[in-house]
Amino acid sequence: MADLSKLFDAVLNGDQKTAVAVTQEALAEGCDPMELITKYMVPAMDEVGRRFECEEYFVPELLLSARAMKGSLELLRPLLASSGAQPAGRVVIGTVKGDLHDIGKNLVASMLEGGGFEVIDLGADVPPERFIEAVREKNARIVALSALLTVTMPSMRKTIDALKDAGVRDQVKVMVGGAPVTPQFAEEIGADAYGENATAAVALARKFAQAG
Amino acid sequence: MTGRQRILARIHHQPLDHLPVMPIAMMFAADVAGVRYGDYARDHRVLAQAQIAVARRFGFDHVSAISDPARETADLGGAIEWFDDQPPAVVESRAVLHEKGVLDRLPLPDPLAPGSRMRDRVDGVALLAREAGDELMVEGWVEGPCALGADLRGLNTLMLDFIDDPPFVEALFDYCVRLEVLFARAQADAGATLIGIGDAAASLIGPRLYQEFVLPYEKKLVASIREMGVPVRLHICGNTRKIAGGMGETGADIVDLDFLTPMDLARAAMPEPQVLLGNIDPVRVLRDGTPEQVEAALEECFRAAGPSYIVGPGCETPRGTPFANMEAMTRFARTRL
Repeated sequence: MADLSKLFDAVLNGDQKTAVAVTQEALAEGCDPMELITKYMVPAMDEVGRRFECEEYFVPELLLSARAMKGSLELLRPLLASSGAQPAGRVVIGTVKGDLHDIGKNLVASMLEGGGFEVIDLGADVPPERFIEAVREKNARIVALSALLTVTMPSMRKTIDALKDAGVRDQVKVMVGGAPVTPQFAEEIGADAYGENATAAVALARKFAQAG
Repeated sequence: MTGRQRILARIHHQPLDHLPVMPIAMMFAADVAGVRYGDYARDHRVLAQAQIAVARRFGFDHVSAISDPARETADLGGAIEWFDDQPPAVVESRAVLHEKGVLDRLPLPDPLAPGSRMRDRVDGVALLAREAGDELMVEGWVEGPCALGADLRGLNTLMLDFIDDPPFVEALFDYCVRLEVLFARAQADAGATLIGIGDAAASLIGPRLYQEFVLPYEKKLVASIREMGVPVRLHICGNTRKIAGGMGETGADIVDLDFLTPMDLARAAMPEPQVLLGNIDPVRVLRDGTPEQVEAALEECFRAAGPSYIVGPGCETPRGTPFANMEAMTRFARTRL
């Protein structure tokens, strides 16, 4: 029998090789892919988030854990798709137009993925129309916008306005974050929420997903 | 006292007339001068004119050639995206060191090569020194090893390299320091009386990796610049709470703190007489607050830092900062000793 606690440990310790090996073994033995995610990988990434928040983990450790998780998810995703299992929710995420900084957005995307969400990562310097396309195409219910520069924060407002103009604003919850972004700014531009960090973003996404 | 004398007196722990004030002002400076930031970053004459204008308008004690982190990377052939009115940025997906092996054959660029972006900064320093050097400190600027390493390798990839391939990270940082020593020397020769080092990425990696990989190379860079007879300001953007002690060990004459590191904690990690600079919240207080809030926040920084202190925000002065708030900052400096 595959020792599934090793999957938890491998994700927590950023050991991609072991995460993949244990996943393969578990699947060969007929384990339910959804159970591997919800019982082992999500709790491991929650613990990664906790350690990051209390400054036991930093960006390298978090990215390493995310890489281990993704290695395992690559094996599980095709099986989930064919079984019709649904993710916790679908999130479209990107750094807004004019801003090439993506590390904060990548941390949030990884933590959301680790939280059981399907993440459609549009990358950096993303124009509003690509957010609209992705929301429509993937029927996403959550949009997450990132900016690191004060000078690109107005792109967040433009993106939200574009979602309104395209008639999809009401079908999504929009959360915003990044170093210069404040809760007041989020409110001013008509976002639904401000997330101070990656774990806050996951908590918000879970709240939105539960609210339906 | 002139601004230059005031900063030097602070660095050398000598008596001065009031607190020095040294905000990083880039887009704010361009706006004050009525020029577009793309031109500011491309043309040293535009930068120098704007720096002198903002320093005189608000009574700063220095001018600076800092503009964007992409100069060195651009001269090494890295992909840069330009914008009309904001700083150019390195395109990570087309990083110079996308393949690690490229490092072995990467030349050290000549900072004086005609038409290069590094040369433009050197020329900016020379112009600032000529126009304002008697009166104000003239600050040159280089990237720290972790910041330049991230620009060359890609920030996301470098984060994993720390764990996957430590010898590569060491070789990369060694290269970065050799390059930046050349760049700093060219700026010192052109008249820089202070060199700033920006090492933003160093705040992402935590104390263990910072101590092991970054601190030794920052120390080497700081020592090499100080050997040129030029003092050093070290600025690391972001939360540096856990590496503040290390920042003090670099030997930098001025440690410039971002707002996420509480000043009392920084002072505990870097006891007097380390000169500390900062660190009010640039967005929530300097840009969005009132002059009274700016003054109160600076008062708290000064109280926590103690005498070896220089006034400034935690990071770049944001575009759109009200002039009254900037005036409150310089007024605070002028009325405190």
